[in-house]
Amino acid sequence: MALPNINSAVTGVKRVRIWYGFVVVVMLIFGVRLFYVQVIRYDYYKTAALSDQLKQYEVPARRGVIKAHDGDGLLPLVLNQKLYTLYADPTYVKNNQNVALKLSAIIGVDANKLQGQLATKDTRYVILAKKLTPEQNTKILALKFPGIGSSAIDYRTYPQGSLAGQLLGFVDADGGGQYGVEQSLNTQLKGKSGLLKAITDASGVPLAASSGNIQTPPQNGKDVVLTVDLAMQQQLETILAKGVTDTKATGGSAVILDTSNGAVKAMANYPSYDPGNYATVENPSTFQNAAVSYPIEIGSIMKSLTTAAAIDQGVIKPNTSYYDPSFFMVDSFRISNIEEDGGAGQRTIADILNLSLNTGATWELMQMGGGEINLKARTAWNTYLTKHYLFGQPTGIEQGYEAAGYIPGPKENGAGIDLTYANTAFGQAMTATPIQFAGALSAMINGGTYYQPHLVESMINGTQTVMAAPKILATNVVSAGTSQAMIPLMQNVVQKHNFNVRFDQTKYTVGGKTGTAQIAKPGGGYEDNEFNGTYAGFVGGDKPQYVIVVFVDKPKVSNGAYAGTAAAQPIFGDLAHMLINDSYVSPKSR
Amino acid sequence: MTYSSSLSMNRSRFASQGRNAVSFRATETKLGPVSNSIILIVLACLLGLLYLTQVTKTNAYGYEINGLQQQHAVLKSEHDDLQVASARLQSLSRVQNSAVAKALVPVSPTDTLQN
Repeated sequence: MALPNINSAVTGVKRVRIWYGFVVVVMLIFGVRLFYVQVIRYDYYKTAALSDQLKQYEVPARRGVIKAHDGDGLLPLVLNQKLYTLYADPTYVKNNQNVALKLSAIIGVDANKLQGQLATKDTRYVILAKKLTPEQNTKILALKFPGIGSSAIDYRTYPQGSLAGQLLGFVDADGGGQYGVEQSLNTQLKGKSGLLKAITDASGVPLAASSGNIQTPPQNGKDVVLTVDLAMQQQLETILAKGVTDTKATGGSAVILDTSNGAVKAMANYPSYDPGNYATVENPSTFQNAAVSYPIEIGSIMKSLTTAAAIDQGVIKPNTSYYDPSFFMVDSFRISNIEEDGGAGQRTIADILNLSLNTGATWELMQMGGGEINLKARTAWNTYLTKHYLFGQPTGIEQGYEAAGYIPGPKENGAGIDLTYANTAFGQAMTATPIQFAGALSAMINGGTYYQPHLVESMINGTQTVMAAPKILATNVVSAGTSQAMIPLMQNVVQKHNFNVRFDQTKYTVGGKTGTAQIAKPGGGYEDNEFNGTYAGFVGGDKPQYVIVVFVDKPKVSNGAYAGTAAAQPIFGDLAHMLINDSYVSPKSR
Repeated sequence: MTYSSSLSMNRSRFASQGRNAVSFRATETKLGPVSNSIILIVLACLLGLLYLTQVTKTNAYGYEINGLQQQHAVLKSEHDDLQVASARLQSLSRVQNSAVAKALVPVSPTDTLQN
């Protein structure tokens, strides 16, 4: 056997070592290169890679829905629905006529108009239709026309149509709530968008294995349950629309408020609009909920609150009688009544309300000052107006653009401050919204507790329901005794006025007060032949359950000086009968 | 001293004692530097393969999650559409204009409510 050749073995070992060394050198080169790429140029390459692979998506939060009462259950007033925007890239569309005809049959847009849009060559994006239903979208996509596509967009949908439109408001194209509840509760309704930041594949699907992915789930908006009763709201809108139309008024507002907690059960204005088609509204003021955002000189309905304030201060009694001279001269101006109220003579507190005596309200203000209108009288009345009845400040109801109204200060030193204050005693020279007056009247006849007028009963966050407790803004607005004394005084007004169908006061408690207000001219003074009609009252059984406030803007009635009686009172009557006939009101138990 | 050089030393010691070195050599195992390198490379490849397998598997779950999320979105959209349809069917204006409602006869209020 031949001995192994030592030289060849040594050569083999050397060769292995050379290869080994070669591999080590190659690995070193790789190592150095990797160090350069991964450590020294780390930021550069990371940025370059992530620019292609890292995608960031905003995960939109679902906007909360709005519901209202329907009998014992709830019905949605506002929902979310995915609708589709149909678009075209005209450079890819072939056979425009055929495409236009087939699309027209599905979306109901004129084929010639579509064909014209498809012929546009200076743009790559033409919107052909908006708010298409899923069924329409499916039919269109099934046609597989090149250059035709659709994108889904969440829209607010209103299953009840225009019902409570101004109260709800709408959501604009940027997702912001505008007017009404949508604006007032925008933060709670819209929720908070989530975030998905992830490494994705070429088609944009997040790679789950990436440890750097960030996923923050969206916080959906809260659902809102309103205090509104849908059937009551529907009837109020119908009655108000009829009343405004019958009197050829320019508009009107009405509010029904629960006296036990300040919950708004129905509130509407006429004319109104459909929030689902808000873009078609020509006059932006139609968006406003006038019952909340349009302060007016409320007229003689104020006399009920003036009388209550005077009784509450102890300067008059419910059965007080006084000599009415038929006019007072205040700051050289004559304050008088309408001719039908008769001349001078002995009058009662009931007469002041029933005959709506301006002189009576002025006399009540005088009693607050010890027999004349002075600083004491003005201060006392101002305290009731602003601290008890809470005029001159927003109520805080969940509505956009709530107005504060205006109450003149008692110490204003301009000429005619006494005259101004005499006017405030019968609802002129000051402004308030129907909702403010409803809140004040409710407090005056419920025993003296001012509950904040509110529209939100509860909010639902996922499975958790949070009830909104009634908020008390003021107590002892008037004493319980004053409150009790005012009820029959206002019932007397209803009994002595003509309603189409009268009220049975033995079974129900129905009281009210008419108001006819002069309309201030922009340059000062008042319009001669235009008046606003108002009516404020209550309806209940053993005690008043609901307050109703009606405002009719410039009705064309035979005698404008009776706008309250002729235009607003019939609406109040119909609303009060509706509450009784539909069993919203429980009859007296004894 | 390396492992292979220690084996070589042991072999010399047994030969000098007249033992059967041939049969002894047959049971010897040699692992040179090349083998070591190859084994290390293979192990690294295996580890890489294992890593890739796991990453691919995880990413596959990602696709599954994405599919389920899309399915959820479609179902949610259908649910919303049904909710809207249901609400529209219950809307007061629709009920008011229904054939049943139109067939109802208005009843005058009784004197229990008004006089």
